[in-house]
Amino acid sequence: MAEAPKDVLVRMRDDLQRALEKAPGDRRWVMVIDLRKCVGCHACTIACVAENKLPPGVVYRPVLEQERGTYPNVSRMFVPRPCMQCDNPPCTQVCPVTATYKNAEGVVDVNYEDCIGCRACIVACPYGARTSDFGYTYLEELPVLDGAIVGRVTSEEYERSANYEYGKEYPRLNHRASPIGNARKCHFCLHRIHEGELPACTTTCIGRATLYGDANDPDSVVSEMIKLPNVIRLKEELGTEPRVYYLV
Amino acid sequence: MKKSSFPKWLDFNAMSSFERVTLLAGIVAFLLGLWGLYTRLFVGEREVGYGSYVVWGLWVTMYLFLAGIATGSYILAAFEYLFNIPLFKGVGKSALWAGLVTMPGALASIGMDLGHMERIIKVYLQPNFSSLLAQMVWGYTLFLVITVITLWMAFKQKAGTPADGAFKAVLWIGLVMSIFLSGGVGALLGVNASRPYWSIGLLSVQFPIYAFASGVSLMMIVVGWFLGFKDEKQREHLLRWLGWVAIGLSLAKIYILWAYLSQGWYSNLPGVIDPIREIMFGKYWWYFWVIQIALGTLVPLFIHMTPKLAHNNLWAGLTGLMVLTGFAVARANIVFPAMTVEALDGLPEAFFGPHLSITYYPTLLEWSVTLGVLGGVTLFFLLGARYLSIFNKPSEVK
Repeated sequence: MAEAPKDVLVRMRDDLQRALEKAPGDRRWVMVIDLRKCVGCHACTIACVAENKLPPGVVYRPVLEQERGTYPNVSRMFVPRPCMQCDNPPCTQVCPVTATYKNAEGVVDVNYEDCIGCRACIVACPYGARTSDFGYTYLEELPVLDGAIVGRVTSEEYERSANYEYGKEYPRLNHRASPIGNARKCHFCLHRIHEGELPACTTTCIGRATLYGDANDPDSVVSEMIKLPNVIRLKEELGTEPRVYYLV
Repeated sequence: MKKSSFPKWLDFNAMSSFERVTLLAGIVAFLLGLWGLYTRLFVGEREVGYGSYVVWGLWVTMYLFLAGIATGSYILAAFEYLFNIPLFKGVGKSALWAGLVTMPGALASIGMDLGHMERIIKVYLQPNFSSLLAQMVWGYTLFLVITVITLWMAFKQKAGTPADGAFKAVLWIGLVMSIFLSGGVGALLGVNASRPYWSIGLLSVQFPIYAFASGVSLMMIVVGWFLGFKDEKQREHLLRWLGWVAIGLSLAKIYILWAYLSQGWYSNLPGVIDPIREIMFGKYWWYFWVIQIALGTLVPLFIHMTPKLAHNNLWAGLTGLMVLTGFAVARANIVFPAMTVEALDGLPEAFFGPHLSITYYPTLLEWSVTLGVLGGVTLFFLLGARYLSIFNKPSEVK
C-alpha cells in the first residue's frame, strides 16, 4: 500500500531537522506565503504577538487586506507581511552602532542592548516591517477592583515577564528596559527554530499558507515552491533581495 | 541710586529693553519646558505624537533647524574673518557664539528623540561609519570643538588685524565642515530609498542654503536687538545688507521649492506626489502657504522694501525672526509629509495600536520639550554673550 503523503507541517519539521544539522552559514532560511490559501484570519498575527509577548503598538506580522474591483466583480486579498529578512537590507547600514545586522544564518537581528532607539532603521525599511516599542501593556488601563475584575494583576505580571526573542530574556521592568525604546521586528522566530520548532506564524496558519524552511536544501518544501513561475517578492525593484516569497 | 548686587552681565536693570524682553521670553519658554523635560526623562516617550509610521517628528525637525543655525552662523563668521568681507564686519563673535549655543540645543533635541539616549556613548565606542547618522554624530562633535577653538582665537585676535595662519587654517576646516555637515543632514534623509519624496537629488543641496539663511536671519535679530555699535549708521548698513541676503536666500528657497515640488509633481509617483499634495493642499497646507511662504518670505520682503520699517531696529529683528521661523517650518515640511505615505497599501489599517498612525501633529509633550530647548538656548546665548561682552560696543570691550 502506498504511503500517505505527509502533512506539509510534518514535512517542514523534517526539513528543519536536516537544516539544523548544517553549519549556520550553509542554511538559507526563507518564508513562502501562498496568497491563494490565506483566508485573512489573522491567526499568524496573534500567534506572533503571543509568542514574542508584543505590547500594544508593536506588530511583526500584520495581515494587509486589499479589496479589488467594483461591485459586483469584487474580490479581497490578504497579504501577511513579516520582515523580509532582505539579503541587501537597507535597515542595517543606517544603524549608527551596528545594533541591527545580518546574522550568520542570514536573518536580520536586533541587539536590544546596543540599540539607541534612533529609529533610522524604521525610516529605511521600505516594507514598514519595524515598529517602535513605546512601553505599553495591554491591560494597564483597566482598573483594579478586588473581587470584581479577576486577573488584572496577574495579566500585568505576565505582560511584564520576559520574552525569549533571540534566545535571551527581556523582562519589561520600566521605560528604560529594552526592548522598550527599541525598534523591533520579526526574526523568523529563531529562538524556536534553534529548538527544532517552526515559527509561530507557520504552525498556526490554518490554511497552511505560510511555509518555512531552508532554500539551500533541494528537497525542502520551500525550495520546491520558490521555483514556481507564480512566485513574486515585494518591491523587488529596490534591490533589497527579500527572503519572503509570495505565491500568487 | 542703589547699586545692584548682581554682576553686570546678570543685572536686569543694565540690560536693554530688547534684552529684557528676550530674556523673559527665554525664562518663560524654559519653565514651560521643564514639565516636558521631566516627563521625557522620567516617564518616557509614550506621550509623543510620532510613532512607527511617522517615525520622526518635531524634535528631529528642531535638530535639523538648530544644527542649521550653528553651521550657517559659522559660515557667516568665516566670511568676516577669513574673507574679510566688509558686508559682514562686526558679527563674527556673535555668530560663533550663536553656533556654539545652538549646536548643543540641536543635540539635546535629537537626544530627546532617542529611545535610549543614555546609550549615545555607543556611537563613539562602536560606530558604524556606513551610517550617515554615525558620521553626523562624529562630525558635529568635531564641529563643536572647532567652533570653541575658533571663538577662542577670535577673542585673542586684535581688533582690525587680519587673521593669522593658524586662525585661517581653523576657519577653513570649520567652513568646509559647516558646508558638508549642513548638506549631510539632507543626505541623512535623502539616502532612504524607502522614501521617494526625499530621494530627489535636490534635497541635500537645499540644506546648506537653508543653514546659511538661518545663520543670517539670526544675525539680523542679534544686530537689530542686541549688538552694540560705535556708530548707529554701521548697524543700519549691516541690517540692510543682512536683510537683503536673508531675502535673497529666501527667494532662492522658493526657486528650489518650485524645482523640487514641480519635478516631483510631474513624476506622478505615489511616494512623491502624495507628500507634495499633503504639503500644498493637505493637512500641512497652512505650514507651507501661511508660515513658510507668506510669513517667512513675502512679509519680510515687504518690510524690507518699506524704508520706514526697514530702518527700524525692532522691525529688522522681527524680519529676521520671521525668516528664521520660515526656515524652521521648511524643515518640518521636509520631515513630516514624506512619512505620511503608507509603506504598503493597507498597512495602517492592518493592525491598530498606539503610535501606528500616518497622521502626525506634535503633542503637548513635544512642544513643551521644544520650548524648553529653545528657552535654554536663548538664555545661554543672551547671558553668555553678556558675560563674554560680545554685545558691547567696541570701545567698551576690555
